[in-house]
Amino acid sequence: MANLLWLQGGACSGNTMSFLNAEEPSAVDLVTDFGINVLWHPSLGMELGDNLQKLLRACVSGEIALDIFAFEGTVVNAPDGTGDWNRFAGRPMKEWVRELANVAQFVVALGDCATWGGIPATAPNPTDSQGLQFLKRERGGFLGPDFTAKSGLPVINIPGCPAHPDWITQILVAVATGNAGEITLDEFQRPKTFFTSFTQTGCTRNMHFAYKVSAPEFGQRKGCLFYDLGCRGPMTHSPCNRILWNRQSSKTRAGMPCLGCTEPEFPFFDLEPGTVFKTQTVMGVPKDLPAGVDQAGYIKLTGAAKAAAPAWAEEDIFVV
Amino acid sequence: MVDETTTGASARSEYEDALRREIETKLRAGLDTEVEPRADTHERVQEIITRLRTSDGSLEVKLVIGGFTLEPIEHGGIEQACETCMYYLVHRKWCELPELDLPVEPQWSCRLWRI
Ligand code: SF4
Repeated sequence: MANLLWLQGGACSGNTMSFLNAEEPSAVDLVTDFGINVLWHPSLGMELGDNLQKLLRACVSGEIALDIFAFEGTVVNAPDGTGDWNRFAGRPMKEWVRELANVAQFVVALGDCATWGGIPATAPNPTDSQGLQFLKRERGGFLGPDFTAKSGLPVINIPGCPAHPDWITQILVAVATGNAGEITLDEFQRPKTFFTSFTQTGCTRNMHFAYKVSAPEFGQRKGCLFYDLGCRGPMTHSPCNRILWNRQSSKTRAGMPCLGCTEPEFPFFDLEPGTVFKTQTVMGVPKDLPAGVDQAGYIKLTGAAKAAAPAWAEEDIFVV
Repeated sequence: MVDETTTGASARSEYEDALRREIETKLRAGLDTEVEPRADTHERVQEIITRLRTSDGSLEVKLVIGGFTLEPIEHGGIEQACETCMYYLVHRKWCELPELDLPVEPQWSCRLWRI
């Protein structure tokens, strides 16, 4: 039996919604098949008011063993470092976060806000938000760069806006069943099993990427979304086209560019009209190139791919 | 039996060839197009696209605002030719940038070139 406590800071509840939609395994499977005891969760917890405070204090004191502390949302520090803009169970949430993280065997950050601050921490960051162990790309965050949970692992980051339901439940199961040793983390503390390949891996538009055929409009089945619509699939680490959403689709499969939401810089743009969903170019060359490709290589590759493109690549093979 | 699809396709190709020749003639005759400044930044691209969108959409206006030339333009160390442009359809020899939507030749160029 592993005790799981889930709290929510500066968040939209997206990761909670995601978690409740999980299928392999589902949130119910966690309890019935994998021995996870949900101590409290914002949408599932029964305790309120004094009873909740009592429960949280019991976790902090060690009276209740806290195996997994899952946190969704940013740590809010405003105003003036007090954290009063996000009070919970009688005190600033950030105080609970610090004390609970210090006693937990494992700390898991769910979604972009908890991992690196996400949208709330984007400049000018009015809530003075931080992720648990990162602020955007910078290591440190609220718990500091040297933090490790009692297990010896740093915060396990499961980014995404929101994180895919099954990334959440599969990591919770691995931790709860004593298989945390098999989770290797990348430089941003993301489980490598999910975040080594790219969103583009498994994308149905790869052949159009290869032959440089663009989809200039949303929702088209023909064409690659990288060239005009600013798709970040070639430089974003996520398994969105390997572990499909709702088990059947993904943004790119539906004709919507990847926004790069599993990377620390998300949301990337200054949100000026005309900059979102538009490939930004400098002298006609995309500003952000596929991971590992330099400008000279990209130009050579594109020229060769164009020259070699078969006639069918220019036609809409999906409407025949 | 007449294959209507083939007939339609060859009529289209004849029309496109004629239009391609008309463009070439206009450019050879010295049509003064806006070759510079090139569309180096997102803002500049938007500016040119907006002008194209709000124009009367005539052939000459597209060629002038687009900055068409009959040969590639070297800019920032990169040779900008339709042949390598993202909007160029190799087999149809066509520019599919919606605001231009014209027949072109691989060695032509315009200032909206992008790769
Ligand atoms: S946008 Fe590209 S293909 Fe179209 S005319 Fe300009 S250079 Fe040629």
